Amino acid sequence: MERHTSADPACGRFAALIHDRVDGALDAGAQQELDAHLASCAACRELLSDLDAIKRTAVDIPDLTPRSEVWTSLSARLAAEAAARPRPFWTGARVALAMAATLVVAVTSSVWLLRAPAPAAPADASAGAATEVIQSGGNLVQDVDEHLRIADEHYVKAIAGLEQVVKSGEGALDPALAATLQKNLGVIDQAITESREAIKTQPNSQLAQTSLFEALRQKVSLLEDTVALINVMRKGDQAGAAKILGGLSKS
Amino acid sequence: MAMIPSDRIEANRLDRDIAQRCRGGEAGAFEELYKRFGSRLYTVAYRMTGSAADAEDLVQDIFLQVYRRLDTYRGDAALGTWLHRIAVNACLDFVRSKQGRRRRVTDTGEDLDALEAPAAGPWRAGAALDRMELERAIAQLPPSYRRAFLLHDVEGLEHHEIGETLGIAEGTSKSLLFKARMRLRVLLRGRPGER
Repeated sequence: MERHTSADPACGRFAALIHDRVDGALDAGAQQELDAHLASCAACRELLSDLDAIKRTAVDIPDLTPRSEVWTSLSARLAAEAAARPRPFWTGARVALAMAATLVVAVTSSVWLLRAPAPAAPADASAGAATEVIQSGGNLVQDVDEHLRIADEHYVKAIAGLEQVVKSGEGALDPALAATLQKNLGVIDQAITESREAIKTQPNSQLAQTSLFEALRQKVSLLEDTVALINVMRKGDQAGAAKILGGLSKS
Repeated sequence: MAMIPSDRIEANRLDRDIAQRCRGGEAGAFEELYKRFGSRLYTVAYRMTGSAADAEDLVQDIFLQVYRRLDTYRGDAALGTWLHRIAVNACLDFVRSKQGRRRRVTDTGEDLDALEAPAAGPWRAGAALDRMELERAIAQLPPSYRRAFLLHDVEGLEHHEIGETLGIAEGTSKSLLFKARMRLRVLLRGRPGER
């Protein structure tokens, strides 16, 4: 039992009423009973005054400001998350690609229809419609390019953020392990470079685009694991490190 | 019918707007969300864990959860309330997992009278209560008391909400709060009869 400040044991039962009063949860009858007691009990008046002050002050305790490094680290993790689950950019690009494919069929059909003999006026109308479709198809292809460019930028940004975090904590890693991770990153970088070269020569190659994004995704994933590894190494969490390394060896 | 204050309407509009922009992947929108609510959620995490390092890790985890779950925010509650609930649950998960590893007798709420209290505290009768002193005293509370006090008196949750959140009976929440306030009073004013 917590001790009450009054020597009068009768005050004990009023302590609960005082708490309810501080919370504004007393009914009229209890309020009247408490008021009558408070009129003759200095200790309970003091308790009420103290609890009121504690509650009022608690509400006013100011918020604390996290260090700026918290946002730096969080933004890198968010960028990595966005890249690993690239929504809405990648989803948008895939939808746009599907729409573009549908339009290619639509445009081809329109062109084929234009070749068929037809009365002049309807043919002109079809030609106009086909031109519109071709133009809008062109716009969609541009949209697809734009989505892919944004997705690419998203990955690059995520990678830059993660690389910064990794660089600042690299000392926590065993040198041999750091060298192995660097070697693996080098292999992925090579794949990224080759994919970009392939896209330059074949801008519409879906295979090259898929390879590029897969390599970028792998790099983000490896960097994320490296950051996690640095964090557990710093904490001396050997079991956590073994778990991450186990996952790395499977990927 | 009660009128809804115009500032609340504007706040709701801002909530929906920022949530929508975050969902749409707009550059800078999530940073804006963090700037608006980061301190609040960090403070919740810090007070619940009592550790700046844990709070820093937790606030990142909380915002990552928010990022993943923004699609489920429908604007029925204020964004701050929605975020706060995610934060409190994340903090409680963290505290529970930590307790699972290092359960202490003081956290059962049963052996607390044996804890040392100062003969005289920093708060003098008749003087205004200093916020920093109160914060220091809160930090000294046993975890179960501290959680009940923070959730009720600082974060403004009702006892039934605290009961649901902590997985305890509403009456237990009231009892913990009662003990927490009494304990704070002793920490701030000193032992009864020795002031």
